Parts: sequence; C-alpha cells; structure tokens
Amino acid sequence: MDFLTWGINPWRQPVLTHISWDLFWASLFAGLMFLVAHASYMILAAHRKRSAEETDAMEAVYKDLPHQIERHTLMARLFHWVMAAAMFVLLLTAFLPIAGIRFAWVEWHWIAGLVLTGSIIYHVIHATFFLDFWSIWIGPKDIPELKAEILRGLGRDVPGPKPGKYPLGNRLYHMASVVVGLAAAVTGILMMSRIRTPLVPRNPYLFSDTTWGITYLLHGAAGVALVGLVIAHVYFAVRPEKWWITKGMILGWITRRDYLQHHDPDRWKLRERKAPTAAQF
Amino acid sequence: MAVIRDVMPAFELFQPATVDETLGLLERHGADAWIMAGGLDTFDWLKDRIKRPSVVVDLSQMQELRGIREAGGRLEIGALTTLTEVAEHPLVRMQFGLLAQAAELVASPQIRNQGTLGGNVSQDTRCWYYRSGWSCYRAGGNICYADSPTAINREHAILGASRCVAVSPSDTAPALIALGAEFVLRSGAGERVVAAEDYFVGPEIDITRMTARRPDELLTTIRVPAAFAGAQFYFEKVRDRQVWDFPLVNVASAMRLSGGTIQQIRLAVGAVAPRPLRLTEVELAVTGQPRNEQTAAMAGELATVGAVPLRHNGYKILLMQNLVKRAVRGGPLRGDGA
Amino acid sequence: MAEHRFIGQNYTTPDLVAKVTGKAKYAEDFRAEGMLFAKLLLSPMPHARVSRIDTSAALALPGVRAILTADDMPEPADSVDDTGRVIRANRRAERALTNEPLYEGEPILAVAADDELTAAEAVERIQIEFEPLPFAVDPLVSLRPGGPAARTEGNVWFRPPTPPAEPSQPPPPQPPIDVRDLKWTAEQFAEADEGRLPMGEVLDEWEYGDLEAGFTQAALVLDETFVTSNTSHQPMETRTSMAYWQNGRVYVHCSTQSVVQTVAAVSRWLGIPQTDIVVVSEYTGGGFGSKITSAISLVIPALLSKKANAPVMMRLTREEEQYVGRSRPSLHARIKAGFSKEGRLLALDFFGISESGPYEGGQDHNTSGRIVSLLYQPVAMRFRGLGVMSNTPPRGPQRAPGGAQGVAVMEPVLAKAADRLGIDQVAIHRINAPEGKAPIGGPLPQGGRAHVTSAFVKEALDKGRELFKWEERKARSGQRTGSSVRGIGVAVSAYSAGSIGFDGLFVIKPDGKVYIQSGIGNHGTESVIDVHRVVAEVLDVSWEKCEITWGNTGKHMPWTCVSGGSQTAHAMTRAAHATAMDARTKLQEIAAKTLGGSPASYRVAGERVSGPGGSLTLAQAAQKAIELGGKYDGHGAPENINAFTKRSVAALAGQGLLAVARDTYPRDGISNSYVAGFAEVEVDLETGQYRVLDYLAVADVGTVLHPRSVGGQIMGGSLQGIGHAMTQKWVYDQQYGVPLAKRFYQTRPATILDAPARMEWAAVDIPDPETPVGVRGVGEPPVGAGLAAVANAVADAVGHDVFRRFPVTCDVVLTSLANGRRVTDPLTANI
Repeated sequence: MDFLTWGINPWRQPVLTHISWDLFWASLFAGLMFLVAHASYMILAAHRKRSAEETDAMEAVYKDLPHQIERHTLMARLFHWVMAAAMFVLLLTAFLPIAGIRFAWVEWHWIAGLVLTGSIIYHVIHATFFLDFWSIWIGPKDIPELKAEILRGLGRDVPGPKPGKYPLGNRLYHMASVVVGLAAAVTGILMMSRIRTPLVPRNPYLFSDTTWGITYLLHGAAGVALVGLVIAHVYFAVRPEKWWITKGMILGWITRRDYLQHHDPDRWKLRERKAPTAAQF
Repeated sequence: MAVIRDVMPAFELFQPATVDETLGLLERHGADAWIMAGGLDTFDWLKDRIKRPSVVVDLSQMQELRGIREAGGRLEIGALTTLTEVAEHPLVRMQFGLLAQAAELVASPQIRNQGTLGGNVSQDTRCWYYRSGWSCYRAGGNICYADSPTAINREHAILGASRCVAVSPSDTAPALIALGAEFVLRSGAGERVVAAEDYFVGPEIDITRMTARRPDELLTTIRVPAAFAGAQFYFEKVRDRQVWDFPLVNVASAMRLSGGTIQQIRLAVGAVAPRPLRLTEVELAVTGQPRNEQTAAMAGELATVGAVPLRHNGYKILLMQNLVKRAVRGGPLRGDGA
Repeated sequence: MAEHRFIGQNYTTPDLVAKVTGKAKYAEDFRAEGMLFAKLLLSPMPHARVSRIDTSAALALPGVRAILTADDMPEPADSVDDTGRVIRANRRAERALTNEPLYEGEPILAVAADDELTAAEAVERIQIEFEPLPFAVDPLVSLRPGGPAARTEGNVWFRPPTPPAEPSQPPPPQPPIDVRDLKWTAEQFAEADEGRLPMGEVLDEWEYGDLEAGFTQAALVLDETFVTSNTSHQPMETRTSMAYWQNGRVYVHCSTQSVVQTVAAVSRWLGIPQTDIVVVSEYTGGGFGSKITSAISLVIPALLSKKANAPVMMRLTREEEQYVGRSRPSLHARIKAGFSKEGRLLALDFFGISESGPYEGGQDHNTSGRIVSLLYQPVAMRFRGLGVMSNTPPRGPQRAPGGAQGVAVMEPVLAKAADRLGIDQVAIHRINAPEGKAPIGGPLPQGGRAHVTSAFVKEALDKGRELFKWEERKARSGQRTGSSVRGIGVAVSAYSAGSIGFDGLFVIKPDGKVYIQSGIGNHGTESVIDVHRVVAEVLDVSWEKCEITWGNTGKHMPWTCVSGGSQTAHAMTRAAHATAMDARTKLQEIAAKTLGGSPASYRVAGERVSGPGGSLTLAQAAQKAIELGGKYDGHGAPENINAFTKRSVAALAGQGLLAVARDTYPRDGISNSYVAGFAEVEVDLETGQYRVLDYLAVADVGTVLHPRSVGGQIMGGSLQGIGHAMTQKWVYDQQYGVPLAKRFYQTRPATILDAPARMEWAAVDIPDPETPVGVRGVGEPPVGAGLAAVANAVADAVGHDVFRRFPVTCDVVLTSLANGRRVTDPLTANI
C-alpha cells in the first residue's frame, strides 16, 4: 500500500497530490475493527463498573444538589450538533465519491467546511470566554484516572479517582478532534483558492507545489483520521453505559446520580453556580 | 524519471472481431484496457505516453458495429460507422440532416474518413493543460491549470464548470442530443440504453471521465428516433480554422413548427461546458412562441444565464447567445436588418 | 516574353514524378548498414541548470549503444571569412545539446539505440534533475523594472566595442556579441496600461529627414500599437538527419534549403574541415527559412555516430520540431505616422520590439524598419528597435523575416489613414509606393541612403486594381446584408530578392548532353532546376538534353548561394548565365580552332556551333574539348571562382567541355521584389468569423522565370500570410513558461482548405534592369501582402477599431464590435 499519491507538474517535477485513498479504507477498517473489538470485549470480558455503594454514599453527602445538573448550555449543544452535521456532510461528500458513489459533492463539501470552520471559531471564543476553558484539557493530573480506567477495563475493581466535568475518554477524544479538526479546517480554507467559489478568487498558485502538497496531505490525512474518530465517537455515543452522556448532549443536563457516579465533585464544582431550572429549556 | 513524448510505448494489442470477444477482453482486463476506435484521440494519448494502458483493444476489425440501418423510422448507427459515412449516408442526409451537417464539420476529410461516430461522442477533452500530461484534476490531481490568474483559457468553459473548466469537444454530440438519440451500451452483464444527454458526465460528478460508459462497457449503437425525422434543423460550428479544428462553440436544434409557432424543439450547445448542454429551459421558454426575432433574442439571453467567463473566454457568452438565436431563428440574420 | 524559348515557359521539373509518387528519398528514407536511432531528452523547464544526470539505468537497457551530452559538444570555434578576416565565435551561441536549457524543449542529451522504442525507453529511465532559474516568456515582462531575464547575464544582445589596433598590427577582430540586461522604467510602462506599447531604451536606431517638420505639416497623425504573433515554420518534413563516418569523412543526410552552403555550416558546428564533409539532401520537405543551412540538431547524430561507431538516424517528431524547428519572432510595434491630406506619408516614427528567443537571430525588427522605409517611402523616418530575449524556442528567419511583420503593423495604419482622410486604399498605397531606384533603410555610414535596383509597385497596384475589379467591389464593401458585411483590402509588400557573385558549373559531354551541376537545395521552390533553364536558353539546347545533378556535395557542385532571402533565382540565374556564356565562348573558340576563322564568327544555336568553317555538334565540340584539355575540359580553371568550385572542377575535369564561371555582372542597387495583395472578406457579425472570398496577388518579381513555380511561391506565400492574419500563433503559459499550443491543431497554420475560395496571381513581368536575365526572387514578399490585405479587408468591413494584434480571430472581432472598441489584451505575448 502506498501512503502518498504523486503527480507531475508542468516542469515534470514530482508533486505530492494527496494521500493515498487506500488510507481511507484503512481508517474505515480500523474504526470498524475497533468497534467490533471493543463491543466484543465489553460483552465477553469482565469489565468492571464502579460499585453502586460508592455512589450511594455520595448521594447522601450531596443531597442539596438539584436532580438535573446542567452539563451543556444550549449554545454549547447547538455548536456540537451543528458541527456534527457539518462533519457528516464533510465526510460523506469527501469519501462517498472515493468509494465510487458519484455525485456533485464539491459545493456541499466546501459549504459544510465553512459551517464547520464557523462553528469552530464560535466554539473557541465561547469556550475561552464563557466556559471553563481548562475543563476539557488533559494534563499530568489525569494520570491516576487513566491508570484506574485502564485497570477497570482490565477487570479489576478500582476505586476513584473520578474526572471533573469531562471523563478522560471525552477529553482525549476532544484533544484528537482539536488537532485533526483544525488541520482539516485550516487546510480546507486554503484549498478553497484551488476551486471556484464566489468567496475567494481562484488562484492555484497561491503557494508552491510543495506547500500545496503538504496542505493536501494534511487535509487528506485529517479527513481519513476523522473517519476513524467519528466512527468511534458515534459508537460510544450509542453504547448503553455512555448513554447518559449522549442524553446530556441532547437535553443539556444529567441526573445528580450520574453526576456523582461519574464525576469528582471537587474537580467539577457546582456550588458556585446556580442549579439549572426547567425554565432554561 | 525523464519524460519523453511523441513515441508510442509498447502495449498488448487485441483486435477482436465480435462484440462478445470485445466484452470478454474488457471484462478480463478491466480498467487496464483501452478501447480504440478510429484512434484519433487514442494515438495522441499513447504517443505522448501520458495514458499508458497495458492493453489496447482496437475495434477496427469489428464489422458488426459499422453501418447505418433503418428500423421502423428510426436509425440504428453502429458506433464504428465513420463520420464520412454518417455525413454521406442518404438516410441521414434526408431525414436527419442535422447529424449529417455536424459530422461533416468535424475536423478534416482525412479525420472524418478514419474517425467514428462512437469515437466522436466518446472522445476526451482537448484542454491543452490536461493534454500536456500534467496532474490536473481531470488527470487525478488537485489543480486546474486552466483557471488561474494567468491561464490561457480562450477555449474553455463558461458554463457547468466544477473545478475543471475543460469543454466537451464533440460536434456530433449536440446534434444527437437535439435529435433525442439514445446510446446503447453493452457489457458482460447485459445492455443498457441511455439518452444522449445522459451519456455525458460533468466534472462535478466524475472529473476524470467525460461519459457514463463504464470501463467494462462498449458503446455499440447510436439510435436516432423517428421523432424529429425531417424536422427543421439548424447546426452551426464556429471555429478558428475552417478545417481541422475543434469548435469554439457549436449549436444544434431540431424543431417542429405549426404555422409560425414553435411546437416542439430540442436544442443543444457544445464546447461551452464540460459536457454538451441540452438547453431545456430555453426549449420550454420558446415552445408555443412564434418563431421570430424576439423569441430568438429571448432564447439567446436565457441560454447564457449563469455563465461565468474566464479571463480569455468572455466572447463565448456572446457567441453562444448568437448561435442559440440562430438555432431558434433558423439561420443568420438576413436582409438589411441592423 | 515571346522571344524566350525556355524562360517564362512552363515545363515539368525532373524531380516531380518522384515527389508525387513517393519515390523521392528524403533524409528519413535513407538507411545504412548497422544504423542506430537516436532519441532526445528535452528540457522540461524554460530556464534551468542540469544539476544531476544518472544514465546508468538507461545504459543498462539492452540495445542502448551510446549517450551524448552537452559535454560532448565542440566549443564554438572562430572562423575566417573569404577575405581572411577572423570572425570570433559567440561563446553563448546555441549548441545542439546544453546543460543550461534556455527554453522548454531544448535538447539536453541524446540516446542512440538499436531502435527508437528502446531509445525512448532509455530516455525515460534517465534520472535527471534540474535547478529552475528565472525565466521570461514575454519581452515586455522582461523589460519591466525588476523583471526576469531570459539568460543569467541579461535579456538583450549587444556588441562590445572593438579594441583599438596596436601600432603596426592588423586591426583586432570584432569581439563577438554578448548579453546584457536592459530594463525600462516604471514611468515608461505607464502607457502599457492604456494598451499602448511603452517606448524605453533601444539598441537599434536610425533616422533620416525632418521628422518634427513632417508631423507639423501632417493633416492626420495616427499613433497605433500592433502586435504580431510568433509563428513556427512547421515544414511538413521535420529536421531529421542521419550521419555516418567513413575514412574520417562525415556523410550527413539532412533536410536543408541549401545543399552546398550546408557544408560550411556543418564544418562550423562540428569543427572539422569542409573537405571532410559530404552533405546529401535530394529532397527537402519545406523550410521557409528554418533550414537555410539545415539545422544545428544534425550535430547530434553526427557526434553520436562517432561515439557509437555506427550510423545514427535521428528522426524528429512533430513535437520536437515545434521546439527546435525555429519560429518567426513576434513584433510589438508602436507607429506614429503623419499623413498629408492627399495621403502622403510625411513622417514615420517606427518603434518595434522583437521577441527574439534565447539565442542570436530573431532581430527581425531591423528588417521591418528597412522594408517599411522602402514600401511607403516616408519623407522623414525614425526607426527604433530592440530584440528582447525570451525563454521560448530559438527564432530564425521565416519567409520575409521582419518584412512580413513590418507590413503587418504598418498596413492597418495606412488603411486607417485612408479611411480617415477619405482616400481610396489603392490610392494611398500608390501615392507612397517606391518607384525605380527607390531609397531603402537608414543613412549609410558614408552618407546618403542605399537604393533598390528597381521597383514597379505602381504598375502592380494598377494591374491589381484592374484584375481584381477593385472599383466594382468597393461599391459593395461595407454594405450589410443581415449579419454579414463585406470588406476589401489592399496591401503592398517587399523583400530582398537576390544576391550576386556565385559560381555555375556544367559539362557538355561527348554524348551531346549538358550535365548541369546544381548546388541549390530542393525545398519546393524549384529554383534547383529552374535557374538552369537559362543555360538551355543561352546555348539554345533542347531541355531534354539537359541533365541536372543535385542534392549531393559528393557529386561536385559549384559554390552556390544559400536559398534564403529569395536570393536563388536571382543569384543563380546570373551564375547560370555567366557559365552559359563561358560555354558559348569555349564552343566558339573550339569551333574556330577546329574549323578555322575567328571565334566571334561562330554562332551557338540549335545544339551546334556554326560559322564560316562549317559546324560542330555539341557532342563533337565536347570531344574536341577533351582533346584540347586545359580550360576546355576543366584541367584549368579561372582564378576568380570559389575554392569549393575549384575542387569540383578538378573532380569533373576531362569529361567534356567544362563550363564554369563566377557571376561578375555589375549591379546598381539592392535587389528587392514586391507584391500587391488584394483581398475581399465577408465578416459574420453574429459570430465574428470571416472568410476570404477572393484573393489576388500581383507580383513585381522581374522576369517570370517559370510561371508555375512563381505561381506556387506566390500562392503558397500568400496563404502562409493569410494564416498569420487569421489563425496561426503561439500560446505560452505564463506561470510555468511552457508552450500550450504544440500541435498543428493548436498552432493553427493555414491548411489548403483554408485557402480563399478564389485565389489568383499575376505578375507585371518587367525585367529587372540590373541583372542579365531580369529575374528577381519571389519567395518572400507574398507573405506580408497576404497577411495585411486580409487584415485591411476586415478593418474595411467592420471598422478600424477592432483589432490590434494578430491573428485576428473571431473572438476579437465579436468582443470589439460588442464593446464598440478594442478590448482584447493588447500587449501580453503568446496568448
């Protein structure tokens, strides 16, 4: 399997045109294999959950918390779903033609790309100024949690530690999405000068052949990576034990018990904030 | 690796005598097989070593796809019928003069003697950037050299461009669309029939191919239905040289009149878009209208709505307008008109 | 010319049957034992340096015999001219292969293999890397401040001053031309935005008369910019060649316009003496100036043959021909012209830029200035010009080099002036036409101006007006019928038409036949045969008795002019005449010696020499010549003939009566020929397309030597010019500096089916007074006339504000008419 596809430029020099689309099939395959492997493991192996007693005990301590705890504001959820829609359009328009399903995909693709870029810009601003910016990032302090998650995954009963607002898996996924999504968005915006749109004058000579080659490589690689990431994301979103998170992304809130069971109230502090009320919906 | 042009490399050559044999070869060799009819498009590609098929299937020995016959008022034209045969055939000339005119204006007498109708509609674009063998979109790359701030694109598209701005160079295609022809495609899996206008594919759908023909399929027959037999036809091709040249714009119309009113019309234009365009909106707009200068002018205006000129091809808008006008009017402006 | 038995009569040339039956052998048709085939690796970049070549994979391929690179090329060598003057070689001159390609398509290396396919595969296996360098494919871009230069050293050729002579030493040779960079200022370029050619510093300049006074007196002053296109020569036969070595001599089978003179060129290119070279070229498939002495590319098979120790054939493909096959340089011109109200051209300020390619040659603007000065006889004129290099294929002379471009840019100005002043087009040409010993060019160093031998342009215009029914057509020009409108145009053209001082050679053998040695190339003009009709005429010998040997310098040819600049018919009829006179004198002397009486009392006629003592047949005289020996059978030769001829005389001596002579006839003036072209076009206003309905060329080419050949030249040249007017051009991508139009269907030279529906020619047929037979050359002037007559007819039909560059295509006509003015990009080159 080749990883890169080369062409020649008018000076008969080799130019990098894009990654090999074999990689798309590899990513699709890897995503699906992970899904199958994970699901099989969850069914067949001795995956351990936290003991219910631990949560019961906490319920007693945090009785004063409301039943519904706000996890995502309306704007945050809107962002998520707009982005999700854009992402699906982007991936389908990008890869269905490669898979042999021919249709006029270019306009859909760049429009969805602009929507995605817009939503990312909104999200960056929103998260920086209005949300707890650092709650989604990972750092050395997450190592105990990682260790515990791995041990639980291997079938050992391990207490704590718990995450703050976002479980570690969530945050790792976000991290990957940031890298890959930004790469795709930035390169995609540049690539708009290679096609005809009403927005930017078409100029394929904006950069050198080499720069363009790298741009196409990054865009393709990011796209292919997103195929795997999205498969994994959707898979976890529909898994029963993660369903409470998905519901949270739809409704905006989670139950007090989920809060206490899955989060460390010290790392996700609610006390300074007012509990959400139904009126907000 | 250095590049050398104009020397044909070696390949495995097959000269099947029957359709079944051909289909077997196509099935066996898939996309590695290159189908060659008259060779006028093929030899350029092969000699320039840009397209390098390992197998060439030369159809020249296949007699069954040659010739024109009538079947219940409609014409069945074998895909390998030469353009000269098409242009000179009495049935074509009498009933479907539009096609005869179009075929007669292709390239040069020598090329028409060798070129086939199937080849003429299936030929690749003549964009000189693409033909230079560079990795443009159409060649599987990611750039259009013809639509850049400095590109020379006088012969490129004003309509229907999507990333690629190359145009369909066929002269017979618009005529066949205007006549409502159907193209018969055969493969190992059977036969399918597509309308002429659906045979051509734009870059928005498939940027590396000009037609809907799959690699395992063979264009066997072009059927011209009786619907427009003996109708009023108009064909015109504007080109730089009066021989051996591709169209800058060509137009074909088939029309039935009732009194002075346009009862039915089919209209197609070539060389303005990556595929020959059937102008359905114009057809609708002029149907039921009197055939006069006003209707013709309206048709011309409507035809170019949405046209986007490139740096050097703005004239194609004017030219297309005027040719559509003529196709509706039935000829150049006559008399002492302004 | 009733008094002539052969001159002015049609006949069938002896090469015709072979040509039309395919039996003629062109360079490509020769084979030699063990012959290899060569293929070229061409530069992919317009300007680059080869940084790495690895040929190992190519050499490993079975059947690959040798690879030739730029390192195998001989250094350009100094040469010595006939007067013993040293001519310093230009070190920057073109060589057949290079490591610093100056245009896309320039040959880098060549592979010889058992067959072409193997050679091509080998080329493909060569690992080669280039370092791209700055390039220019537009002369104006190169002249802009900070603009790129075509060569590392700059963008224009100049000649450094000759150092002063040391006391008591001969003057040192002139240094070779060199390259420097020339830029214009941003202020000068301001005009370019308005579509006018900017006018900055130039290197070529002359002036006569009082220009300012002319403009002051003028009733009309026009200031116009016109641009012509680069046009490739595109002969049907590409410059294929085959070479092999035997006993230290190289035998070259090539495609050339001039057989004898090619020996000198090959000697220069290969750095070997002329006596070691045999050139074979019996038939040449066209040259149009690009093969005057064949092509430098023949060095490749010659050197490869030496390296591989086997004959090597290099067949050039059509694409390679497009690269190495030469082209006419485009001319960017700005013309300021002042006319009196009668239409007389009082003042002309002519400014022209040639896009001259990367090597010498292509300085056509200089000839444009000369020809314009001759054709329109401006009362005062300033010429300014500059050749600007570009990274596009090398330029060479093409059929009326400079002349055609000069006419193309000048004629629309004349037509516009006629329109503005309300004068008839023919009348304005007539009032400005050269007449008799008309002056030409700028002032001479010794003062005054040069003049031509004769000019009968007014006669040509009058004859054309009559034959073309000009007045009748004029009545309907400009009238619109529906979407079509007609227009008529006339244009005059001139070009050099003859040189002097060459040799003729033939032998009358004891079989009574005249064996004529022709050193002229056979490239379609038929002068290779036609000029020798003079021998038959002077000696009064039936044409059937004349055998002509041509196409092989191994067969002992006389020193012959190059077939370029329409020289041959003039130069070689003179040489043929001189030689025939030599034969006549010798026949008379032999008769007198044999039969008694004085030589002057003998007459040569009816294939006998007869006089008071009786008569001898030519056969008998030939036999006597052998017996007499000495000068009669070639054992003695005149002193004044060329060394080349002397060798041939020595080789042919003893076979019969040997006639040899150098043309020493006097000539007052420079020989030029003229054509007046008349065209009628019909323009379709809805498509911008136009067709030439009728074309007539009336030539002033002196005495008509062979009507069919003259007609062929006039018609062919006219059609070539009509192609320049209507369709032919180059297209270059500006970003990568590479050509986009490479094939015939893209460069669009005129085809036979593009010929006007009706096309005719006529000649005034007035002998030139300065040459014994009265014949002048004809090949070149038809081009400019065809080009400009069509352009003027289009302007007559649709107005004078429609085009400003050639070719005039339908898009230009259509958009200009829609906008009411010229809107197409006026100055960008090669679009």
